[in-house]
Amino acid sequence: MTSKAIYNWVDERLGLSELAAFARHKTVPVHSQSFWYYWGGISLFLFLVQCFTGVLLLVYYRPGAEAYESVRQITFVMHFGWLIRSAHAWSASLMIFSILVHMFSVYFMRAYRKPREFGWLSGMALLGIASVFGFSGYLLPMDELSYFATKVGLQIPAAIPWIGAGLANMLRGGPDVSEFTVQRFFALHVVVLPAIFLPLLGFHLWLVQRHGNASPPSIEALPPEQRKTMPFFPNFVRKDLAMWLIALNILALLASVFPWSLGKPFDPLAPAPLGIHPEWYFMSPFEMLKLLGYVFSGKYAALGEIAGILLFTLGIALWFLIPFYDNSKESGQRARVAHYFGLLVVFHLLITTTIGYWLIQ
Amino acid sequence: MNYPFWEIPILGSGWVIGIIAIFHVMISQFAVGGGLYLPMAERKAMQMPEGQLRTEWLAQLAGFSKFFLILTAVFGTVSGVGIWFAIGLTHPEATSTLIHNFVFGWAMEWVFFLVELTTIIVYYNTWGKIDSKLHLAVGWVYAVASLCTLIIINGILTFMLTPGAAWLRVAGTGREASKFWYAFFNPTYWPSLFLRACVCCALAGIWALITASRIDGDKHPALKTTMVQWSVKWLVPSFVATPFLLIWYLWMVPASQQALLTLGIDTIGSGTFSIITRIALLIIVTSATIVGVAYFLAYRNPREFNLSHAIAILLLALIATGSGEYAREMLRKPYVIGNWMYSNGVRVPYVSRINQEGYLAHSNWVWKDYDESHYKLMSYLVPPSTVGQKDTTPNYSRGEAIFRGECGSCHTLNGYRPLAKLLAGRDRANISSFITMLHDYKPDSPYRRYMPPMVGTKQDIDDLADFLNAQVNPPQKPVQTAKK
Repeated sequence: MTSKAIYNWVDERLGLSELAAFARHKTVPVHSQSFWYYWGGISLFLFLVQCFTGVLLLVYYRPGAEAYESVRQITFVMHFGWLIRSAHAWSASLMIFSILVHMFSVYFMRAYRKPREFGWLSGMALLGIASVFGFSGYLLPMDELSYFATKVGLQIPAAIPWIGAGLANMLRGGPDVSEFTVQRFFALHVVVLPAIFLPLLGFHLWLVQRHGNASPPSIEALPPEQRKTMPFFPNFVRKDLAMWLIALNILALLASVFPWSLGKPFDPLAPAPLGIHPEWYFMSPFEMLKLLGYVFSGKYAALGEIAGILLFTLGIALWFLIPFYDNSKESGQRARVAHYFGLLVVFHLLITTTIGYWLIQ
Repeated sequence: MNYPFWEIPILGSGWVIGIIAIFHVMISQFAVGGGLYLPMAERKAMQMPEGQLRTEWLAQLAGFSKFFLILTAVFGTVSGVGIWFAIGLTHPEATSTLIHNFVFGWAMEWVFFLVELTTIIVYYNTWGKIDSKLHLAVGWVYAVASLCTLIIINGILTFMLTPGAAWLRVAGTGREASKFWYAFFNPTYWPSLFLRACVCCALAGIWALITASRIDGDKHPALKTTMVQWSVKWLVPSFVATPFLLIWYLWMVPASQQALLTLGIDTIGSGTFSIITRIALLIIVTSATIVGVAYFLAYRNPREFNLSHAIAILLLALIATGSGEYAREMLRKPYVIGNWMYSNGVRVPYVSRINQEGYLAHSNWVWKDYDESHYKLMSYLVPPSTVGQKDTTPNYSRGEAIFRGECGSCHTLNGYRPLAKLLAGRDRANISSFITMLHDYKPDSPYRRYMPPMVGTKQDIDDLADFLNAQVNPPQKPVQTAKK
């Protein structure tokens, strides 16, 4: 049987030629900002790395009381266990970073406007879930740093008025972080979150295929004959794959030169080491809460926590709902306000994160 | 032994050499590969039928030769001098051994280097001014001269890893130069030469992609397509042959050094040299990626290949080259010259003598004053008023001199391979027993695989332990009480 005959046999049953025809006709805009189109693909690639390395870690990881010992074995005994763990941990950070870049590029190119509102909303939900993935995964080694960082990190949901304390208790499985917390976070990390994330990711990718890549308003304003495009397949896919390879190298570089280490086993009775802080992507809200704590100290401390949570909620709500505020194709007053709001958010994140790390130093 | 005042905090003196060397290797290997690329490309252009493409190719090559001249003749030369300067300060004893053994080799290399410099200047300045065949001949002279510099320096570099039994038999007798050719054509010479030659060709293609990427694909589609695709082909020999050459190279390396490659398979434990395994993995991933990215972005998409793509490939090449050079340096541990000189500059046969007479007695860089048993660092390290006077400095001043001489070529106190961190959690007795373990250098000691012995007397061990203990467990400041 020749390869053509095999292709025909499969094509007859799966409709491959229709897919190929779709890919051939689909185009991607080419302009000075095309570089930002690759960040969604890079995020997807890093998620695939997470899945692959996560499954391998599952082979040896034991949640609960043996969590620390199993991670110690993975890092210091198993052949290339350190590599799998480091690749998993670094790709988590890189994935959050690339999703953030992807989100801001979509925002500043105003790619959330009609008909792409669901793409924006689903993307935001994916970012939210990815950060919970990061938070739940950080505890799993159950060393000193992850233990105290989780304790500190849980201060953020605990500060939510009325439901905060109950929510934090439910996540911890008790009044304090313990083996029960590891069990819960593990279940969340490997079952609950993937079960939500995967279908949502499928929906997001389907929307991207349906509506294609959005051009920024300056390109949309050009007459059609002046707009350049390239075929999605094979040109864009080829470049996308090259970007994946570059991302793989950055990951290999980080995992090899800065392998993820393991601290001392956690001791709930020991004092928290100096400089405990959550992962970099939670540093901004963490620092905001601390700064508000300084402003509203003493008997106003509770007020400060509520003010912080309200500020976050308002900010996230405004960010989430931007497609419904800036919905015009024209670049009018609303677009300018949205643009300045975006810049404000970027500066806020950068400054509070920098202050957070500076104070730790 | 090393200069005790040559201390680079945080970075460490090894990295001073490393940074200059990685930069230099990227350029000097391009000088060799590019030396072949230019005349071959010119020959290809001359064989093209008369027409626009041929004219464009020659104009592009003239521009490339300017880039080549500036990069190799200016930055390559300056960084080469930088390496001499840095190795002379970091490893004076090893540098001295190399000079005494290979002075004839270096003389030859410099002759070829002068020919290189002359011909590349002539080559660049005579585009369109002399007969095209003569111009091409100048290019070939450059290519041969630059290849000869590689052929020579490769012998000296590989000697440091595998000096060979014949040279080791006469080492220390003053007749080392009589075994020049044995030392030169040492066991790793040939695999290393072919390996480097392949890397040179790959770097030529990668650097050429930088200039080719700047051609406007819309205005000159044929030029850009042919130039980019031809440059990518220069990567092919390297990536087909490199895996086999690497196996050959490692096959020729002594088993003890081969074992270093596997140390990091199952651990990332600090201080265990697991970094070599990790770096080796990085080389494999990065090299494979260069092929993939060059194929997808350049060969299959030549007209859309732009400068940022080319720089991405160049950065990947920089990582691969840097990792390769780093791994090669690490493979030599615990020696700087295989089986002859440890990485802290102590010659292997001198160990027992130094253990009897004391480390500082064999250092040229300490102030030796009134009493045989007391030494100071050179005068500028102690207040001028005390120079020549009775030594009243505490013991750990001697310890610091020993630290700088015996540990400083690989370790810093608080930066790269920081002893303060590696010894953290140990008290004075524990530090002392660790140093004693390094001093005893028993056959079953795991540190023998990558660390030289600590040489010196019992007093030296105590002095070094005092100094290191003061760094790891700094004395508490006395609590000030308010005066009544």
